[in-house]
Amino acid sequence: MEKISDALLYERVRSKDKDALEELYDRYEKMLYSYLCKMTRDRDLAEEALQEVFVKVWRGIGSYDESKGKFVAWLVTMSRNSAVDLIRKQKKPSVPLDEIAEVESTESSVEETAEWQEKSDQIHQAVRHLSEEQQKMVQLFYFKGYTHETIAETCGIPLGTVKSRIRLALKKLKTSLQAVQEGGVLDDKREL
Amino acid sequence: MTNVNCDQLIDYLNGTLNEQEQKQFEAHLAECPECRDIVDATGELPYLAEPVQPDAGMKARILDTVFDESEQDAPIEKPTPIREKTAPPVAVPKRGFRTSKWTPLVAAALLVSLLGNAYAFYELNDQPNAPTAPEVAFETVDLQASETFAGAGTAALVHEEGALNLLVQANQLQPTSGDEVYQVWLLKDGKPIPTGAFTPSQENEGAVFFSLEEDTEGWDTIAVTLEPNRGNTTPKGEVVLSAAIEPEA
Repeated sequence: MEKISDALLYERVRSKDKDALEELYDRYEKMLYSYLCKMTRDRDLAEEALQEVFVKVWRGIGSYDESKGKFVAWLVTMSRNSAVDLIRKQKKPSVPLDEIAEVESTESSVEETAEWQEKSDQIHQAVRHLSEEQQKMVQLFYFKGYTHETIAETCGIPLGTVKSRIRLALKKLKTSLQAVQEGGVLDDKREL
Repeated sequence: MTNVNCDQLIDYLNGTLNEQEQKQFEAHLAECPECRDIVDATGELPYLAEPVQPDAGMKARILDTVFDESEQDAPIEKPTPIREKTAPPVAVPKRGFRTSKWTPLVAAALLVSLLGNAYAFYELNDQPNAPTAPEVAFETVDLQASETFAGAGTAALVHEEGALNLLVQANQLQPTSGDEVYQVWLLKDGKPIPTGAFTPSQENEGAVFFSLEEDTEGWDTIAVTLEPNRGNTTPKGEVVLSAAIEPEA
């Protein structure tokens, strides 16, 4: 059975279809929650960030259309920015990442696990083709919750340079990922 | 980079563009395949994280809040939200709650309905040839305020065919600030489960309804805490109201 597209589901969400929102939630709950757990290192904070994202989706704050790219990328951007805001406000110490890994559930279906593994392999392969500097930029921007202003401060690099480097890193990532997804096996050499 | 709009890509991803800049950049995205492809690639980044399985209740917590907030913020949409149905028990999967934002009037109507239901079963059982009615027990308890808290509240518990419906109402509450919420807990031997959270109305009143499909736990205490934020699975704030309840026979 053909799966209804995210964009169509989102259209239904705009007309206040609760089932459509639930379907979108089911599609991306684990992916976004895992990302937010890694970023915040705190399950409660990750849940709060995820909740904020879906409140915004439901209430039509910052609406999506296909001209902005893939729906999931739009969700990831919102998730990142919600988490960044919450991390800023957070006062309690973070739960170490190891503890999050320990409570990992085994309830995932075989299909779900296989799909995750495939996607994970692809993105890891693509990341390996970034320079160390580029990997660091992606890591700081997407997984440490640093804004590019903070990266500029902590790395002692001008703001404009940080932005250029993140852009170049993401551009390279996109090229490598495309090559991996199209079935090409990249060699392991690093290139800029 | 090809033009000044491409320069704004990272600000866009960082959420730091103002409204007008964001609209301009989104128009640019529609026309710049390179920027759009880069944005699309970020949608794959979460797969660099270790998979973490959400706990079973997260979806209900999040979606309840999402729909709850929308109903409160858009009062003209539907005059009768689903939680205002007065026929108990509300069908919810295994364990779930409907959070507060009810007017006390609606909560009171639900309480009357719950108790009325239980009373009807008792009446039925008093008749000699009455068919076997589901076993129903109910109790109401006044919640005692802690020393430093001025509020008051009551809890109604209806045990019905192994299910538990719980309604907590509170008034004279201190207003919450920031992310604070009042959280209701059921406890057994000091071990709590969260049973819904609420923020007070402008009249400093609030209520929460919770439905537990399998009431086999023998709860002995009900408590309300003032939590620093929503979604805590163990109490992190102070107990403001509490009462002992009779474990179900």
